[in-house]
Amino acid sequence: MQEVLRLPRALSTRVKMPSPFLLVALLPMGLILILVAVLFWVSLQRGVIGTAAVTYTWENYAVIFGDPFVYRVSVNTAIFALSTVFFALLIGLPIAWMTERTTIPGKVAIYSIMTLGLLIPGIYTAMGWTFIAHPRIGFLNQWLVDLFGLESAPINIATPVGMGFVQGLSLSALAFILTAQVFRAMNPSLEEAATVHGMGFLGTLWRITLPLALPGILAAIIYMVTIGIATFDIPAIIGLGNRIYMLSTFVYLKAHPPDSGLPEYGITASMGTFMISVAVLLTCWYGRVLRQGHRFEVVTGKGYRPTLIELGGWGIVGWGFILFYALISKVLPLLLLAYAAFTPYLAPPSWKMMGQLSLVNYYNIDWELIMRGLKNTVLLVVVVPVVVMVFSFCISWVVVRSRSQWRYILDFGAFLPHALPEVIMAVGALLLGLFVVGNFLPLYGSVWLIAMVYVIARLAFATRAINSSLLQIHRELEEAAYAAGLSTVRTSWRILFPLLRPTLLSVWIWTTLLVYRELTVAVFLASHQSITLPAIIWSYWFGGGRNEAAAVTLLMTVAVTPLILVFWWFGRRSVLPSQ
Amino acid sequence: MISVRNLSKDFLVSGGKVAALRNLDVEVSEGEFFVIVGASGSGKTTLLRCVAGLEVPSGGEIRIADQVVSSDNPPTWIPSQQRRFGMVFQSYAVWPHLTVYDNVALPLREGAQRVPRNQVEARVREALCLVQMEKLAERSATLLSGGQQQRVALARAIAVSSKLLLMDEPLSNLDARLREEVRGKIRELAKHLGSTVLYVTHDQVEAMAMSDKIALMQLGELLQVGAPMELYHHPNRAEVAEFFGSVNWLRGRMIQACLAETPIGRLEVQKPAAPGEEILLGFRPECISIVEDRSATKTNVLQATLGSSTFLGDQFVYSVVVQDRLLVGKNRTLPRCNKGEVCLRVDPADVMVFPADNKRGMAVLEPEHSRALGTAG
Ligand SMILES: Nc1ncnc2c1ncn2[C@@H]1O[C@H](COP(=O)(O)OP(=O)(O)OP(=O)(O)O)[C@@H](O)[C@H]1O
Ligand SMILES: [Mg+2]
Repeated sequence: MQEVLRLPRALSTRVKMPSPFLLVALLPMGLILILVAVLFWVSLQRGVIGTAAVTYTWENYAVIFGDPFVYRVSVNTAIFALSTVFFALLIGLPIAWMTERTTIPGKVAIYSIMTLGLLIPGIYTAMGWTFIAHPRIGFLNQWLVDLFGLESAPINIATPVGMGFVQGLSLSALAFILTAQVFRAMNPSLEEAATVHGMGFLGTLWRITLPLALPGILAAIIYMVTIGIATFDIPAIIGLGNRIYMLSTFVYLKAHPPDSGLPEYGITASMGTFMISVAVLLTCWYGRVLRQGHRFEVVTGKGYRPTLIELGGWGIVGWGFILFYALISKVLPLLLLAYAAFTPYLAPPSWKMMGQLSLVNYYNIDWELIMRGLKNTVLLVVVVPVVVMVFSFCISWVVVRSRSQWRYILDFGAFLPHALPEVIMAVGALLLGLFVVGNFLPLYGSVWLIAMVYVIARLAFATRAINSSLLQIHRELEEAAYAAGLSTVRTSWRILFPLLRPTLLSVWIWTTLLVYRELTVAVFLASHQSITLPAIIWSYWFGGGRNEAAAVTLLMTVAVTPLILVFWWFGRRSVLPSQ
Repeated sequence: MISVRNLSKDFLVSGGKVAALRNLDVEVSEGEFFVIVGASGSGKTTLLRCVAGLEVPSGGEIRIADQVVSSDNPPTWIPSQQRRFGMVFQSYAVWPHLTVYDNVALPLREGAQRVPRNQVEARVREALCLVQMEKLAERSATLLSGGQQQRVALARAIAVSSKLLLMDEPLSNLDARLREEVRGKIRELAKHLGSTVLYVTHDQVEAMAMSDKIALMQLGELLQVGAPMELYHHPNRAEVAEFFGSVNWLRGRMIQACLAETPIGRLEVQKPAAPGEEILLGFRPECISIVEDRSATKTNVLQATLGSSTFLGDQFVYSVVVQDRLLVGKNRTLPRCNKGEVCLRVDPADVMVFPADNKRGMAVLEPEHSRALGTAG
């Protein structure tokens, strides 16, 4: 047994070397901390930030809390977030209930439609709905005005409620996924008991089903409010041009003032810090409500087969509802985008306009810019998901498998990006690039800064998904490999990765799609050199080139279709890992 | 082969520490089949995992083949991979995405104990032959029965190292009949290969049947270590006696060096004790013999009333009442009965005597316990 050696003394002060996974896992945690710290640091400064000519004060906070404009923006944001949740639940909740609790036919198809709904970015819906219902250029408005001889446009989506409606359309898929879980986890015998004791269908629904589902639904509401408060893309696409501001677009305005105003980074940072506090509070609340919800989940045995409510002819109504949702949230906006991509200017669809369809927008767009955007986007799409998977695997492994004291910190740390709005991470990264590493690392304006934020932003989801899969892999499978002499890294490669493959694959595709379409961070951080395809769409749109923006959007959609099909094909077999 | 000194292991749990192992000493010599038994939660698995290097001890020293593999002074740690042993897990841990062949071959190809490429095949075949799995080599591991998975796990362990094998309840997932068959095979195989085996189980019959030496654990401590016969017949404390089979317990007091006063009368014992000492007496059900000829025996005769009896095929289990005390006996035939009265005897050599001040020893004498004994037989 010569292989068993006493460690040399120099090494033996440490009884056990930290696992290589721990070292990797701590890296993104450090980055998150740095981002938050930078934000806070800048929020305390007035004057020329990062130089000697600066004073440290709380004045930035005094300014934002004393500003009536900030007050109006906050009210806008609250209305927007609440109407988002209202519309998302109005659509998502009934569909979830029908899918999980009734005999509606074609459930796999419903799941596919809703999953696709998750994948179609909010900006597409927003652009499409601008073409439909914008007070000036919306076709619907123009038709209604012509039809009834109205004075002004009857529908206005450039309001907090209107934007909330569009955002709600795009979040309803998420509302569906979240509430479907609630209905699925609910013990059907509780409902049956009510029916047996003589309560009618509606009585049972109102008295038993909904109250039981309430904690889960409340958790979903808080989750979506958190998203709504910090959403940037839809308020930017619809609201910025009409001077309706939300907190996120306010932050953008301060960091990227129009014309040639000076950026007010101190204000931006203090607003960011404020938003972090709100988001963290909401997220803690969310966690608490979720835990309470689990109290109602009576554990069901193997023979668990919920009795489903017979829908009969109402199934057609149900499907009508689903198809109508798909039409107004996905099909119509995409059709209008495609139409706008081929028209020289914006006009309601008509026979006359059909004659004018051409490739003119494709001649007008700056192909050199597109190619640069494509290059950057491809780079991000290739690199970011891989890095995300490496980091989140290491974090998950430490959290689930090791006894390291770090695991609690890592578990919380990986959850943090989930609470930190992307806008805020983008601002943090912007300030980091400008004021902290700017002198020695040309990170600002490079695509790597964007990549860094993408990685952090996607960690929470990936880590959760891998955590739950890793928990299902028996610990002894791994230990058998160690005992048989395989190193930690080799064990992961030979044993864990193959066993985790379905999860890793779906996390990978999902991350890829989200990175591909990501707009918020890119808009904040992209420079002329590091611009991405969504940022190009944004710059055309913001600069008034709506047809060009539609043309690029169409290109992007066509390019990603194969990946979406792969995801859909794959998602049919393994359920999308839930957040 | 394995030497454990002063080993302790604490787990940090919410709300404090759990001491899973408390200053444990174990010596396993080369070629020995060493079984660790104990009730659930007594720390058997923890001990095995410490030896395997899957758990970091809080204190103490472990040596394998005279090499320190884990110690707190000077701090030394050899990771699992370099400790060179084969291990069979309770869940078998057969890698489900690989074939039977690859399960055995992977450690030989890529582990710390890898062998030259051209020898892998031969080693794998040899190990599979030993467990009679060579025909199923190309089968996917997910398509195996429990017994077959168990054999693959064993083959993998042997292939890595047949010198030292660690097993954690390898039979607990098999059904009773198969378990009996396999335990004979494992012992045979270990002896054939000359392996040193450290084997964990909670089943005292399994321990008796397989071991050269048994260590009984309780609450992280070793109660007694010895050959099976020794533990059964000469337990050093009441808990040990209790663990390896049911016992009729009585409280008593010594009145002479070898004579005790008990609730069922005076009993002669073999082991001398100081007169006046409070003691705990016990004898096993099968040690109660039936007196055919009353005149031939004078000592330790019990006049009893026969209670219920159960026929188990190879023997009867019956209960008797002696002066309000319920005792349980075991015999091939039922005692002959005279109007419900029977005459029984306990040999002084079969009476186990323990000091009564042993606090834990008293636990076995709780009233519920003796009643439970009566029904358990
Ligand atoms: N990872 C752990 N964290 C906290 N406590 C633990 C851990 N592993 C074991 N313990 C505790 O240590 C004690 C010994 O556990 P161990 O698994 O060694 O028992 P065992 O003798 O193998 O029991 P069984 O026969 O049920 O397998 C128990 O009290 C257990 O709760
Ligand atoms: Mg155990």
